[in-house]
Amino acid sequence: MARSKREQLIILLLVFCAAIIPTSSLADDGGLVVSAGTSHKFDKRLSAGFEVEFRSRNSFRTADRVSLGVDASYKLLPWLKAGVGYMLLIDNNRESLSYQDDGISYNNWRPSYWGLRHRLNVSLTGSYKIQRVELSLRERWQYTYRPSKMIDNFDFDEGEWEDHEVRGKGKNVLRSRLQLEWDIPKCKFDPFASVEFHTTRELEKTRFILGVAHSLKKKHDFKLYYRYQLSGKSSDEPNIHLMGLAYTYKF
Amino acid sequence: MGLTMASCQKDDTDLADVIADYQVQPVGIELDFSALTEAPDVPVTDEADSAFNDYVENSSWSKVIEISFADNTATVNGSVSGVSVQTDGAHVTVVNMSGPVKFIVSGKTANGSLKFYGDKRFQIYLNGAEIANPKGAAINNQGSKSLYVVMADGSVNRLQDGTDYVMVDEEDQKAALFSEGQIIFSGKGGLTVIAQGRGGIRSDDYIRIRPGVNIYVNSTAQDGLRANDGIIMDGGVVNVNTTGAGAKGVRSGGVMLVNGGRLIAISDGDTRIETADGVTDTTACAALYCDTLVTVNAGMLKLKATGDGGKGLNAKQDVKVTGGSFQAVATGTRELKKPKGVKVDGNFNISGGYFYSYSRRSDPIDVSGNTSVAPGYKTYELKPKVLTIAY
Repeated sequence: MARSKREQLIILLLVFCAAIIPTSSLADDGGLVVSAGTSHKFDKRLSAGFEVEFRSRNSFRTADRVSLGVDASYKLLPWLKAGVGYMLLIDNNRESLSYQDDGISYNNWRPSYWGLRHRLNVSLTGSYKIQRVELSLRERWQYTYRPSKMIDNFDFDEGEWEDHEVRGKGKNVLRSRLQLEWDIPKCKFDPFASVEFHTTRELEKTRFILGVAHSLKKKHDFKLYYRYQLSGKSSDEPNIHLMGLAYTYKF
Repeated sequence: MGLTMASCQKDDTDLADVIADYQVQPVGIELDFSALTEAPDVPVTDEADSAFNDYVENSSWSKVIEISFADNTATVNGSVSGVSVQTDGAHVTVVNMSGPVKFIVSGKTANGSLKFYGDKRFQIYLNGAEIANPKGAAINNQGSKSLYVVMADGSVNRLQDGTDYVMVDEEDQKAALFSEGQIIFSGKGGLTVIAQGRGGIRSDDYIRIRPGVNIYVNSTAQDGLRANDGIIMDGGVVNVNTTGAGAKGVRSGGVMLVNGGRLIAISDGDTRIETADGVTDTTACAALYCDTLVTVNAGMLKLKATGDGGKGLNAKQDVKVTGGSFQAVATGTRELKKPKGVKVDGNFNISGGYFYSYSRRSDPIDVSGNTSVAPGYKTYELKPKVLTIAY
C-alpha cells in the first residue's frame, strides 16, 4: 500500500529521532532550560535579538546557569544566513572532589561556585526545503573566555580552607548542528528535531533535541522541547536530560 | 516558577562533618619549666637491684674537690689522692684514679671546660655553674663509669658548647655535656644546656633522670638528649627543643622508659639531605626517636615535631603504654618525608593511661605491627588526624 507524503515525512522524522537519541543511563542528570527573548527584523535580510536563559541541573533542584545574549543575523542568500552573537554566562560550576592515591581518603574539595564567562560566536546556516520539511545545517565557531577567579578550596592534608585561583582561559569550540523542521499544514504545532556536535580537539558533547514550535499571531513564538546532552569521554559532567521552554517576542 | 524556585538547592557533597574532623586543631604542646609535685624519690637500697648504682646516695662522697670558675680562670680547692687536676685558664682536666669523688662546680666562664679521665664513678655537683666552651664540649667525661650530675637545691646551671669543635685524636666529644659512661641526673636544681655545634646531652651508655631535676636542652645543631643504651626517666622536668635538620629531640639507642616526671620534646628542624658517593639520603626529625622498646608507665611525655617530615615519636620497635600521659603532635609539611604523630615499626600496645596522637598531614598513627588496645578504656576516638585513647 502506497504511503502518503505526510506519512513518509512522519516516518522520516521518527527514524531520524530514533537514530540520534541513544539509550540513556540511570546515572544521568535532569534539568530545565527556560528562555525568553525578543527578535526584531530590520528588513528582509537583517534581524537582531536579545535573550535571557536559565538552566537547572541535579534533577531540577540546582541552578546551573543564567545567561544574557544578543545576536544578529544576515541573509547572504535565500538559503544561507550568517550570524554573530555575544553571551554573558553566569555559571554555577560543579564541585570538584579529589582523592589520595589510596582512592579512599579525600585530597581536595572545591565546592561549587558561581563564575562569569564571556562568549562570542559567528555562524553560517545553510537550509534546504523538501516540500514542508526544512533541513538546515549550522556551523558555529564560538570562543569562550573565563576570567580568573579566587575561590575556596579545602585541602584535607592541611585541614584548612585555602584560596585557590581558577586561572583565566579561553576555549574554542566548533558546533555543528543538523536540524529538521516540519511545517504541518493546518496544524498549530510544528515539530522539529536536531543533533549538534560540540568539538574541540575531541568530541566534547552531543545534543539531541526533539520538540514542537508554536507561533501566535506571528509575534509570539513558543518552543517546547526535550534535550538529551551526551558528554564526551573525557568530560566530568554527567549526561543530562533537559526539558526546554522558549519564548520569543517578535516585533 | 516552582521549578526555578526549587533550583536553589546545592548539589555539593555534604562534607561538613568530615571537614570538621579534618579541621581539628592539635593540643598545644609547648615547653613547660614549671616545677612538678612529685612523690618522694626513694633510692633503691637493694644492692642486687640493677638500679642500685644509679643512686648517688648509695655511694660515699667523702672525697671532695671544689672547682670554681671566674671568667678565664678556674680555681681548684681540695685534693684527693689519686686525682690530678690541671687547669689551663678556665679549661680544667681531671684524671681520677681514685674511688668516688665529688666535684663541686660553681662560677661562670665564657671560655672554659671540664674534662674527666679515669674509669671511676664520680659526681659533678653543680652549684651555680655556667660553663661555655667555644671550641668543644663544656663537660666531657672520657671515663666509662657512672657520672652523677647532681644539681644543688635551687641552683641554676648552664652549659654551652661552641659552633666548631676542636677534636682530640681517639676521643669522642659528641655534645655540650658528653659522657662515655652513663649519666644520672638528680638534685633539685636547674640545668640549661645550649648546643650549637653538636648535641646537647649525650651518653654512649645510658641516661637516667630522677625526680626533682629541671633540665632544659636547646640544640640548634644535633640531637638534644641522646643515649646509646637507653633513657630512663623516673621523674623531674625535662624540656628539649631542637632546630637542626634531621635532629632528634630525644634519641635512645636502647629502651625509652618513662616512669614519672614530665618530658617535653619539640623538634622544629626539617628533613636533612645528605649526599655521599652520588647517593642522596634523607633523614627526618623526630621529637623522640627510639631504636628499641618505648614504655610509658607514668608521668607525662609530650612530643611535637613541626618540620618537614618530622615525627612526634619514631619508634623502631614496640611501643607500650600502661599509664601516664602520652601526647604526640606532627604539624610539618610533607615534601621529602611524611610527618606522623606516631610511627611504630613494631607493635603498639596500650592498657592504661592517656594516649593522644595528631598528624596534620597523614594518619595520626602508623603501626607496622599489631595494635592492641586492652579493654576498659573510657575513650577510643579515631578521626582522620587524631587518635585519642583514655583509660
